[in-house]
Amino acid sequence: MELKNVSKYIAGPGRVFTTALIILIAVSVVQAFAMAAIETFVYAEHRTATKGKPPRTEEEKRIGRIRQASKQFLPDGTIHLVYEPRSKDGRIIEPRTEQIYDANDHLLWEGPKDQRPYEYLSWAEQLRRYTDAFDVMQIKQMQMLTPVFSRSIEVPIGSINNTEQIWRYRPGDECFEGYAVGGGRIGFIGAEGFVDSKSKVKPLGEFRFFTAWCPGDSSSPTLLWQTGRRVYQINFEKRQTELLFESADSDIETISLHAWRDLKPGTNDYIDSKKYRPLLVCITQDGVHHLILREPDQRLSVAGPRSSFTATRQAIFAYRSWADVFSVPSMAVSPQLYEEWLEQYYNKPQKKWMELYRVADDGAVQLLNRYDWTMPAPDRPLHMESLLATQRLVGHFSPLLYSLLFHALGTEFWSYVQQSTNRGSFFYAMLAFPMWLRSLNGLTNWAISALMMGFVFWHGLPRRTSRAQFAFWLVFVGLLNATGLLTYLALNHTAVIKCPACGRRRGLAQNDCIHCRAPLPTPKPRELDLVFKSCC
Amino acid sequence: MRFAALFGKEFRECLPWMLLAAIVLFAFGGFTLRMQAHDINPIREWSRGYSTPGTTMQASRLTFNSPLAVVGPWVFGSAIGLGLILGACQFWIPNFTRTWPFLLHRSVHRSTVLAAKLTAATVGLILAVGGIWVGLFWYACRPDVFGMPQPARIFIEGWIFITLGLVAYLGTAVSGLSEARWYTTKIFGIALAAIVIFVTAMQWSLVWALAVIAFSIALLLSQLFDTFATKEF
Repeated sequence: MELKNVSKYIAGPGRVFTTALIILIAVSVVQAFAMAAIETFVYAEHRTATKGKPPRTEEEKRIGRIRQASKQFLPDGTIHLVYEPRSKDGRIIEPRTEQIYDANDHLLWEGPKDQRPYEYLSWAEQLRRYTDAFDVMQIKQMQMLTPVFSRSIEVPIGSINNTEQIWRYRPGDECFEGYAVGGGRIGFIGAEGFVDSKSKVKPLGEFRFFTAWCPGDSSSPTLLWQTGRRVYQINFEKRQTELLFESADSDIETISLHAWRDLKPGTNDYIDSKKYRPLLVCITQDGVHHLILREPDQRLSVAGPRSSFTATRQAIFAYRSWADVFSVPSMAVSPQLYEEWLEQYYNKPQKKWMELYRVADDGAVQLLNRYDWTMPAPDRPLHMESLLATQRLVGHFSPLLYSLLFHALGTEFWSYVQQSTNRGSFFYAMLAFPMWLRSLNGLTNWAISALMMGFVFWHGLPRRTSRAQFAFWLVFVGLLNATGLLTYLALNHTAVIKCPACGRRRGLAQNDCIHCRAPLPTPKPRELDLVFKSCC
Repeated sequence: MRFAALFGKEFRECLPWMLLAAIVLFAFGGFTLRMQAHDINPIREWSRGYSTPGTTMQASRLTFNSPLAVVGPWVFGSAIGLGLILGACQFWIPNFTRTWPFLLHRSVHRSTVLAAKLTAATVGLILAVGGIWVGLFWYACRPDVFGMPQPARIFIEGWIFITLGLVAYLGTAVSGLSEARWYTTKIFGIALAAIVIFVTAMQWSLVWALAVIAFSIALLLSQLFDTFATKEF
């Protein structure tokens, strides 16, 4: 391709794109900074305002205590409210004491926390990211192209003072590859256990989550490995893979454990295995709770609302907690719904309740006890309202294109974008920009865009080189608002002169006057200008 | 022949900077890698201090940097640094030394002059940084050094850093040729390169990273060709 064609067809649009991209990023940074600054300022103001509140009444203190107390169940279904008094600024008071109340708010016991006379049911808990567990988001962070290269999951095997093998996870093949520390490959561990060659290994499946612990008799980690639809337990020391659960119809959403890991008494997460059976709970996206129990082996499926589970040696229990407010809608996806939620949440008392169930062997649940309480309407924080107000303000200068895209693609699409962004997708995080920074005041945004188009019309008319280009810039500025105007100015700032023929303003980028078609004036030839004379 | 002569001239001018980058990468990267080869087992043992029998493990303690992580910043820095220097030397400094007319007023097309410069810089980056990177990776994969081969992904990541050096070179070249002021659009070439480097560092997918780099190279190359073809030197 000739250089001039490159210039005409590629470089021109490329330059517009580059300039618009850089200016768009700069404008977005300014908008985001303004939003953060205003929110911080209003939040600080709100905190200062709440400091001067009058002291709480006895009834308010009682309600506050009920709200803060943890609601615990005894194995017979009795509920207790366990409250740990705190200082005025919310700090824990040492030595730690607690007060235990019954469901009728009678004080049953008060004393040091470690001398509590009751033993409550403990529940299978979802594992904590960054501490106990490693999920998809973290594996993506681990694989980022930082200057120190990506990291890999490696499981060292051996005695406490001597590593003998290292098993490295291969994300592409979805299996582990083992090496002896002294050199040489050991083999592979996949869905069907250990194999000695790569061709025989069966992939584990797309990684979602893992947690690790060292069994009581070993210093080599055992992994609980969750993929989209399966949960494995991998013992590298014995080179064994055990398939614990496989979902046929739906992806696994979360897993939680209780007394599953063989831990030593006194360590974190230790559960007394004499009182509880090992329990693994897998909740699938179709809302079914799958319970995998051991000692003896048992499997149950419990449908219904999200619940927590535990299995004592005598029975299996479930508890559910409820509140009569709907979940917070995304402010970016639907500001109207978000405002409705704010209205409902902050203007009416909230009813909350907890229910304890016994789970039968066929997965049916039977209600054992229920406790409910009503909370007064909480104070509406000023900074939450300010978020919407700030977004409205900075959105005046957002591209009109954002709003058009938002309405064209629909809330369902943007909800999906929001979910994918929360899961750490960079591509969707970029797509989410229009959603976050779009204008919430359509009319003002249109008006500002129209004003900018008017300016471009006034500025560009004498400077235009072609009608198509002039029309392009008008539309461009109309769609991109402040970004479009700055891009236009960056790429079209040519000087204007008064046309010697018609006296009207004309740009220097084109030879003919756009009004009278007169050519640009040529300088008078000087006496020594031999070249000019000979060629003209 | 004319292209070869121009390429030779450009390559000769790039050579000191190429050698400097290669020496820095080889000396510092190689030294730290060699040190790492002696210390790798104690590092593994350190992590094992947390695997006490009968306890849960913090899952993130099972993630490890490659031993080549100590070389990464040197590869990244030398590629970006060499790209910036070559871009400045080839397209910005001649504005001050006023050597553009001597180069362009010859019986060669401007595209040949530009192609010679681009080829010299690309070959320079590949030889100076890429060559040393291949050598260091090969050393780290030897069974007697770290016991296990390094993941192929790390090798590709090293080459992605080198292509980022090319992006930095093209960005500097576009900025160097621009006639605007630094506080206006002249900086945009380097700004685009900086954005691309930042965006690439946020990627975990190699395909996406390569796509971003390829797109930015196409953008910058088209502008470089256009500016070089139309600019009045």
